[in-house]
Amino acid sequence: MMGSVTANLPVLIVAVVLIASYLMPLFARYRRDWCAPTAAGALVAAFAGSAALAARAVTGEVVIVHLGGWSPPWGIEVAVDALTAFMLLVLTGVAMLILVYTISDIGHELAARAVGWYYTSFLLLVAAMLGMAMARDLFNLYVFIEVSSIGACALVASRDTEEATEAAFKYLMLAALGSGLVLFSIGLLYQVTGNLNFAFVAEELTLVYGRYPHVIWVAMCFMVVGFAVKAALFPLHVWLPDAHSFAPSPSSAVLSGLVIKIYAYAMLRLLYTVFGTQFLGADLAASLIRVTLLTLATLSIIGGSLFALVQVDVKRMLAYSSVAQIGYVFLGVGLATPSGLAAALIHVLNHALIKACLFLAAGAIIYRTGKRRTVDLAGMGRRMPVTMAAFTIGALAMIGLPLFNGFVSKWLLFVGGMQARQPVVAGVIILSALLNALYYLPIIWRAYFTPGPEQEESQVEVPLPMLIPIGVLALACILFGVWPAPALALVNQAVATLVPW
Amino acid sequence: MLLRVLANYPYLVAVVLFAIGFYTVLARSNLIKKIIGINIVQSATFLFFIASGNLRSGTPPIVEPGVAATYVNPLPTALMLTGIVVSVSVTAFALALAVKLYGYYGTLDPDRIAQLRTHRQ
Repeated sequence: MMGSVTANLPVLIVAVVLIASYLMPLFARYRRDWCAPTAAGALVAAFAGSAALAARAVTGEVVIVHLGGWSPPWGIEVAVDALTAFMLLVLTGVAMLILVYTISDIGHELAARAVGWYYTSFLLLVAAMLGMAMARDLFNLYVFIEVSSIGACALVASRDTEEATEAAFKYLMLAALGSGLVLFSIGLLYQVTGNLNFAFVAEELTLVYGRYPHVIWVAMCFMVVGFAVKAALFPLHVWLPDAHSFAPSPSSAVLSGLVIKIYAYAMLRLLYTVFGTQFLGADLAASLIRVTLLTLATLSIIGGSLFALVQVDVKRMLAYSSVAQIGYVFLGVGLATPSGLAAALIHVLNHALIKACLFLAAGAIIYRTGKRRTVDLAGMGRRMPVTMAAFTIGALAMIGLPLFNGFVSKWLLFVGGMQARQPVVAGVIILSALLNALYYLPIIWRAYFTPGPEQEESQVEVPLPMLIPIGVLALACILFGVWPAPALALVNQAVATLVPW
Repeated sequence: MLLRVLANYPYLVAVVLFAIGFYTVLARSNLIKKIIGINIVQSATFLFFIASGNLRSGTPPIVEPGVAATYVNPLPTALMLTGIVVSVSVTAFALALAVKLYGYYGTLDPDRIAQLRTHRQ
C-alpha cells in the first residue's frame, strides 16, 4: 500500500488538489464552513508530498509515473526531476500561505455565494499549475495550460465589479490567443516528429532538423510568443495590469507570484529539453530567438519599471513591477548559461515570495483602511506596524539589497551576464535596481516619516490569520537572502539535469 | 512548388484561417466578434491537426487481425476531441463575461466601454 503511494506520489499531489476543488461547490451549498479547512488541508498535503519528492529529486533521482501503466510513446508520462520538484515546492508552499490569508480576507471582498466558487477556481488553478510542472507530454501540457487560464480568469472575474469583469475578458481573450499559438506549435512538432512525449520529440527533432529546419523554427517562434503572451513579457503584457490590480488581493498574489512564472517555466522546459540543441545551437535562427528573448526581457525590465513609476494605485504599481520582474526570468532563459539559468529559476522562487508578500500586505492595508493610492499610505507604519514592516522587507528585497533574497537572483544574473559576455545585461540589472528603488522607497518613506491625518492615529492591524502568512512570507524573503543554500542545491541540480554543459 | 502547396491545401486553409481569426480578435471592436475570432483560431488549429493525421486513401483505424490496411492516424482526431471541449468551455466563459459587460455598460464595444469607464471615474 505504502509502496504504491510513493510510486504514484506525483499524480496523487495533483489529484488531491483537483478532488478538493470539485468538492468545494458541494460544500459551499450544504456545509459552508467545511470549504476553508478542506482547501487548506489539500494544499498542506500537496506541500508535504512535494517536499517528499524534492528530498528524492535533490539527489538526482527522477520519479517517473506512466499513467495507466502504458509506457511512452503510447501512454502519458509524468515525471518529477529536480526542476519539477523545485516548481512544485514553490507552487504549493506559496499557494498554501496565500490560501490561509484568503480564508479571512475573501468574505470581505466577494459576495457570500461566490466564496465557495472562489475556492473551486483557486484549487483548480493550483492543480493545473502542478500538472503543468510535471507534464512530460505536449498535449497533456496544453490541457493543463487551458485549465489554468480558465482558473486564472475565474479568479479575476470572481470579484463582481465592472472593472474586474472587463479585465477578465481581456485576459481570457489574450490567454486564448496564447494557447492557440502554443497548440499550433504542438501541431507542427507532432507533424515533423510523430510524437508527443518530450523525450521522444527531442530525440526525433535532432534527426529531422536537417530536413525540416523551417518548420522547427516556426514551431519554436510560436511557442516563445505564445508563452510570452501568457507570462506578460513587455509588449505583450497589456492584459496584466488590469487583471492583477482589479482582482481580489489573494488572486493578485497568486496571479503575479505563481501563474506568470509557471508559463515561463513551461517555456524554459520546452526550449531546453524538447528543442535543446535547436535552441542552444549556433545557427542564425537559434541565435536570433535568443537575442529576441534577451531584447524583450530587457524592454520588460525597463518598461515595466517605468510604467510602475507613474502609477498612483499601489496594486497597479505592483502589477507593473511584475512585468519588470518576469523580465529577469526571461533574461536568464535567453542568456543560456548555467548561472543565467540558475538565476532565472531562483528568481521564480524569490519573486513568488516577494510579490505574494507585497500583494498580501497591500491587500491587508486595503482590508483595514480601504486606501489604494500610494500617497494615502502616510503614517501607515504606525497604524499597521507588522503589515508595513513586511511590505518594507518585500520592497527592499525587490530592490535587491544584500541580505534579502532579491539580491541572490540579481547577483547570479549579473554573473550569468558576464559569463555570456553580455555586459549590457549587467548594466540593465543595476539600472533596474535603481528604478525599483525609485518607486518603492517613497512609499516606505511616507509610511514611516510622514505623519498621517490627525484623526487616524489608532492601530488597526489585521487579524492574526492574515498576519501570519504575510509574516512568514517576509521572513522567508530574509531567510533565502542569508541562507539560499537549500534552494540553490535544488536549482543547481535542476540546471545540471536540464543541459549537460 | 505551387503544385505542392495545392496538393496540401488543408494546411494552407488552416494557416489562412488562423491569420483571419488572429486579426479578428485583435482588430474587431465588438466583444462577440472577438469571441468568434478566438473560435476561428481554434478551428484552424483543429483543421491543421486533423489534416496532419489524414490519409486520402486511408481506412478507418479499426485493425482486424490478418488484414493489412493503411489506416488514418486516429491520434490527432482524438486530441482534437479534447481541443474542442476546451474551446467550447473557453467560449462559454467568454460569452458569460460578455453578457455581464453588456449588463454593466449597455454596449459591446470595448472602446466605448473604456470611454464610459473614464467618464464614471
